[in-house]
Amino acid sequence: MLIFIVKRLGFMALTMVIVSMVLFILLETNLFYKGDVATRVLGAYVSAEQREMWREQHGYNEPTYKRYFLWLGNFATGDLGNSLRFKAPVNDVLWGRLWNTAILGFWVFAIMIPVSLVLGILAGMREGSKLDRTISVTSIITTSVPEFASCVIFASIFVFGLKLLPGTSGMADGFDFRQLILPVLVLVTYDFGYVARMTRASMAEVMTTQYIRTAVLKGLPYKQVIMKHALRNALIAPFTVIMLQINWLLSGVIVVEFFFAYKGFGALLLEASLNQDIALLEACAMVAVFVAVGTQMIADIGYTYLNPRIRFS
Amino acid sequence: MAKSYKDYPHPAIPKLIDDLENRKISRREFLRTTTLLGLSAGAAYTLAACSKGEEMAEKAGDMVETATGTPVKGGTLRVAMQVQEMTDPAAFSWVEMSNTARHMVEHLAITGPDNVTRPYLAERWQANDDLTEWTFHLRKGVKWSNGLDFNAEDVAFNFTRWLDPKTGSSNQGLFSAMLSDTGEKDKDGKPIKRMTEGAVQIVDDLTVKIRLNSPVLSIPENLYNYPTAIVHRNFEKEGGNLTQNPVGTGPYTLAEHKVGEKSVLKRREEPYWGGEVYLDQIRYIDVGEDAAAAVAALASAQVDALYKLDLTTLEAAEAISGVKISKADTAQTGVVRMKITEKPFDNLKLRQAVVKCCDARRTLEVAHRGLGSVGQHHHVSEIHPEYFKLPDFNQDIEAAKKLLAEAGYANGIDLKCNVGNTSGTWEQDVLAVLKEDMAKAGINLQINPMPSAQYWDTWNTAPFSLTAWTHRPLGTMVLSLAYRTGVPWNETSYANPEFDRLLTNAESKLDVSERRAAMEAVEKTLQDDAIIVQPLFRAVFTAYTDKVKGYQTHPTLYHQFDKVWIDA
Repeated sequence: MLIFIVKRLGFMALTMVIVSMVLFILLETNLFYKGDVATRVLGAYVSAEQREMWREQHGYNEPTYKRYFLWLGNFATGDLGNSLRFKAPVNDVLWGRLWNTAILGFWVFAIMIPVSLVLGILAGMREGSKLDRTISVTSIITTSVPEFASCVIFASIFVFGLKLLPGTSGMADGFDFRQLILPVLVLVTYDFGYVARMTRASMAEVMTTQYIRTAVLKGLPYKQVIMKHALRNALIAPFTVIMLQINWLLSGVIVVEFFFAYKGFGALLLEASLNQDIALLEACAMVAVFVAVGTQMIADIGYTYLNPRIRFS
Repeated sequence: MAKSYKDYPHPAIPKLIDDLENRKISRREFLRTTTLLGLSAGAAYTLAACSKGEEMAEKAGDMVETATGTPVKGGTLRVAMQVQEMTDPAAFSWVEMSNTARHMVEHLAITGPDNVTRPYLAERWQANDDLTEWTFHLRKGVKWSNGLDFNAEDVAFNFTRWLDPKTGSSNQGLFSAMLSDTGEKDKDGKPIKRMTEGAVQIVDDLTVKIRLNSPVLSIPENLYNYPTAIVHRNFEKEGGNLTQNPVGTGPYTLAEHKVGEKSVLKRREEPYWGGEVYLDQIRYIDVGEDAAAAVAALASAQVDALYKLDLTTLEAAEAISGVKISKADTAQTGVVRMKITEKPFDNLKLRQAVVKCCDARRTLEVAHRGLGSVGQHHHVSEIHPEYFKLPDFNQDIEAAKKLLAEAGYANGIDLKCNVGNTSGTWEQDVLAVLKEDMAKAGINLQINPMPSAQYWDTWNTAPFSLTAWTHRPLGTMVLSLAYRTGVPWNETSYANPEFDRLLTNAESKLDVSERRAAMEAVEKTLQDDAIIVQPLFRAVFTAYTDKVKGYQTHPTLYHQFDKVWIDA
């Protein structure tokens, strides 16, 4: 187990180093990025001498490889640089936004996972039943409506129509749970169908296996067959999907955060790229990659518990 | 007994009174010019009222909401607006930055929504006969928030700083008559200009004199342009950062400022020199760049007012009960500008062909729903007092084809134009219409939409792009900022000594009709040199709830909330 985790951590570090190289080449060299960083920071009207002085002070006249190692070293020691847009250290901006997305993600998961698992299991237990067909059709409909459309639909109903909920979720006056309702509703609506259908398919497949049939024919109570024998095996596929949803929640919720002005990580990533805020963009990308690789490792460990046939080797 | 010229702050004022009485100038022109020459707004309005002619209602224009009811002290005004970094007022490049700052740092003069400029930190001013020397008498008893007295040293410090190339301020263009060429050039080959020696003189503790190389009438109006807020004389010594060290003369102080989130201004405890201030707090709330989010915030009472209402959300806002929509006809515009130092735009005939393709009226209808007025490719609007109406400039595809052939592109040409949609998606719609029009002449226009920040990175270096320009009360102001040789915001690299001379000549004319006549050549030169396609001037909109009283939409969307209150 320990060797497995160490190997995984090594793989994680290697992935992040490769990503850091790609990011550096994309953003900090003139191979792809054509703008002048000094002009971006100092504005268009400073003299050429001032721009040159800034480049010198910030090491932009050094060879690329030296700058890369310096940047990587700073990054590894927690110095993520300064944000151009926010005129503040990236550390001051990034973690608060990440925390906001974690809050949003927590509530989405807290509602979406029980709902989708229960509905998926209920549908899968009685494949072809009325309940199954109702859940399946509902899931397909909600998943096929894109988030930007459901944002507009829910805002029209609850903000402009019924005037029940706040239209934006910026939390300017501190945390307000009411402001979370619409973003959570949109995300749960969009995502639950995906997990529910995956669970249903997995459950339906398990229900047709020999060992379930044997258990039923043995005369075991149906509840026991489901809870003890079917569920654990049926959860392997949904577990993978659920772990992937963490990545999606981190950077894939840009549309929802943008629409409701929620100050989360997705919106920050968008702001960083729109404003060519290189240091912030690099930090956001590295965090997103870290979470992606980290959740994958957790998923791998989780499989072994759900299915002992999957070995650490 | 008739007053002599000595009774007025400038000898030209009696002539203006005569012109008003003889209906040679309108009441609005009279008010604007006499106040610029140092006559108090009250006196100017009284003189205007005494003469026969137009109704007094004109003085305030259509966009001024008359405040009704008794002001109520207290409360918080919440405004949806992007909260941007706010470091150095002289280097501001967005009105949003200045809107937060304007409640802390103030200007020497203030131009109201009625386009009339009044004294502010300067109690009054006088210009000499030929408008080359301006004396500003500063208001006594104004205190900085650090307890020190506001004085002439502060004003001299700001002028010197604005005109120092190291500051990187666009004010260099506004006050170019205070600059002299040093003969040096920077690494980019641009001539280095510095403030002329003796251009700013401290006469006494509360009097400052500025001297110009050439006459300029619009000096007081320039002093309300958004990067001209007066900062404390120790601004640079104390870090040069207004957010970290919010020292000002204004009625509010900065309590919190989080870029991208919110900015909170709290009323200062000390008495304000400008009298009673009603709001306890002003909160700017950043609801992002999505226009729909701002309207949703207004609909759910999360904010009381919007900085601006996008055209795409106009109907949605109109449908919200208890919300007022305010429209202002302005000189805000978008110019599709060509950099004449870059190929193929160094070719005059090609540029003229591009301009000839434009159907300005159709562009206004399609791209801006007809809300605004038609432009004539010279950046002077009919709402500017010195506007001279040239013959209509109509689309002429045949002429465009002929010019294109003469330019050496008989088989057409491919052009690529950047657009940042920095003030709305109407910018891209303007290019979409132009693309259709240009195709008729054989020009294939490729539209290159960019994120707004990326656009501003290259706005003055790209060969071809659409830039949004805000409103300025005088046409000569924007021409000085954007088209005079070598000024920082000259994005076309236009350098025409004859144009500079004509513009200087127009700026020096005190008599409105003479100034208007002088503008004919200025406008014609710009139109003939075809450096911009400028199809429209925009009407702009804001929205606020009916609880907000005393709110006036400024054509530049500048905020000044010291006389705004929230009805209980």
